[in-house]
Amino acid sequence: MEDLKNAFDFSDFPRIDLIVAGAVLIFLFGFPLFPHSSFAMSTMIQFLMFSLYAMGWNTIGGFGGQVDLGQAQYLGIGAYTTAIMLVRWDTPFWISMPVGILMSVIWSFIIGYPLFRLKGHYFAIASIAASLVLKDIFEVWEFVGAARGIEILSMKYSPPDFMRLIFKEDIYYYFVILLFFIIGLLILNAFRKSRLGFQLRSIRDNEDVARSLGINVQWAKMKTYAIATAMISATGAFHACYIKNIEPEDTMSLDLSILIALMAMLGGSGSLWGPIIGAAVLVPLKSYLKALLGAASGMVGIDLIFYGGIIMLISAIEPKGIWGIVEKRRRRRRN
Amino acid sequence: MEILAGSISAGLLIGMVFALVALGLTIVFGVMDIVNFAHGEFLMIGMYTALLTSQATGMDPLLTLPVAGVVGYLLGIVCYTGFVKYLLRGPMVAQLLGTFGLMLVLRNLALLFFGSEDRTIHKGILVNRSIELFMGVRVPVTKLAAAALSVIAFVLIWLLINRTRIGKALLATALNAQGARYMGISTERMNTFAWGIGGATVTIAGALLANFWSFTPYVGLLFTMIAFTIVALGGFGSIPGAFVAGILVGFITEIPGFWDYLTYLSGQRWMAKVPMSSFKYTGVYLAYFMIMLIRPRGLFGWKT
Repeated sequence: MEDLKNAFDFSDFPRIDLIVAGAVLIFLFGFPLFPHSSFAMSTMIQFLMFSLYAMGWNTIGGFGGQVDLGQAQYLGIGAYTTAIMLVRWDTPFWISMPVGILMSVIWSFIIGYPLFRLKGHYFAIASIAASLVLKDIFEVWEFVGAARGIEILSMKYSPPDFMRLIFKEDIYYYFVILLFFIIGLLILNAFRKSRLGFQLRSIRDNEDVARSLGINVQWAKMKTYAIATAMISATGAFHACYIKNIEPEDTMSLDLSILIALMAMLGGSGSLWGPIIGAAVLVPLKSYLKALLGAASGMVGIDLIFYGGIIMLISAIEPKGIWGIVEKRRRRRRN
Repeated sequence: MEILAGSISAGLLIGMVFALVALGLTIVFGVMDIVNFAHGEFLMIGMYTALLTSQATGMDPLLTLPVAGVVGYLLGIVCYTGFVKYLLRGPMVAQLLGTFGLMLVLRNLALLFFGSEDRTIHKGILVNRSIELFMGVRVPVTKLAAAALSVIAFVLIWLLINRTRIGKALLATALNAQGARYMGISTERMNTFAWGIGGATVTIAGALLANFWSFTPYVGLLFTMIAFTIVALGGFGSIPGAFVAGILVGFITEIPGFWDYLTYLSGQRWMAKVPMSSFKYTGVYLAYFMIMLIRPRGLFGWKT
């Protein structure tokens, strides 16, 4: 109950934040009503999806300071569960998504238990190793379509199908993911002010002190990891219905994990708005760069050069990201 | 029996090259506690250096080793003074993601310049020849030469660090940077030197591997993970550890070969059906995971 009240309580932000957030929300709801290209629409859907991924990462990576670089595996679990249950057993999305979340959470406990005995670099590398093992398994596992992946054939269903989340027009997808986005924001807001959220921040600042204050560090990290994976897996399930073609390379690769972490870090990890800002900068940059110089000129990977450059700049100059700069200026003005 | 002997010799030979791959990573980690995710990309650059110089000049690929070494040394120094130095001031998250950014930039620049098609070195005095070692086990000469040269390079670096003045300064910096500074050692220069040596060894390893490994700009990640596993197994910062662990990891990558041998011995049908060769490198990732759980210090580690 307390958490539910916390989720809707944004009163600790300065008024200017709330005004901007409200304006953005109105824009998000109003956007589809105005004429737009299908390219802009798909960019917006991608933006909402990636801000959800980054929000999920932000719980463990931002508030907890545990740099997890294997989150793509939960995206993959969510996407594969939904796609397989739909293709093989014709299960509606609203059943397969919770199943996917459950599987992700179980998997997160299985690998989280050993993972969180490690710290720092060792943890980050081990999380990569774990996700690569899972990806290798999915690449040879016939049941999930091996390296070919699995495809949802939309002509088998009669869109718009709200149970299976198969639509012809992107606008339906847009509103579904917008709903997810708002729920995700509320969850993160509740998390931020929950007991667990405070425990995690104290762990990030000094793990030994946190332990001496009686926090069960291992258990707090594992709970947060489960929350993060649940958010990412739910969005992954949506990804399966939206993209309709699931391959290990697209859904579980290390590049995707890095991208998720990067968005949270660019925006400002450990803050509520950070992941959204990061996704709002990077997703349009990615789509427009691709459209601008993409396959036409044979310049593969140029968007990734930009990404890499941004990561290098941000980590060398301002590791707290865009939101960190904003907060620094505010603090300076106050003093 | 030949299958078994073949797998053992293959694992041993490739393991020696892997040890050289990991050497640079363990030096850099030992000296300054930073992990370099772009390590595999350095190796990839070494491979392309070998390929392109031998194509451009008509030299034998083996003679391109010094060129690759110089390129790697300069690359390491440029990366350190131009970028990594600034990372060290930030928190750990920034250090981790920062070298990731370097990895993305190097890999995609290579993709832009060299294209994504598979490359191999076709000519050269050693390529496509094999020699019989013992009991009918034939190994390609390229692998034998690569292993031998790796061991030589490894020993030279070990001598450099343990027997020369600058190497001892490097070691002092690794053991206690502040103490080293009090003794008049410029730790900043030692860091730069460590990155240079790290870059040079890994590009030389890349140039050796290029003789028998077909490669694309994407090859880096695999070697980064292999190097991490070796460094973790041998102990972060330990040079002899890297050598022993390199050979062990070489054996791990030959698990499909051992599996074939077991299948042949037992004659079990189901064993032949397991797609073991697809899991060639999964064993390496799994090994990293297990080492970190069972003995995070590694075999010879002194840093925890």
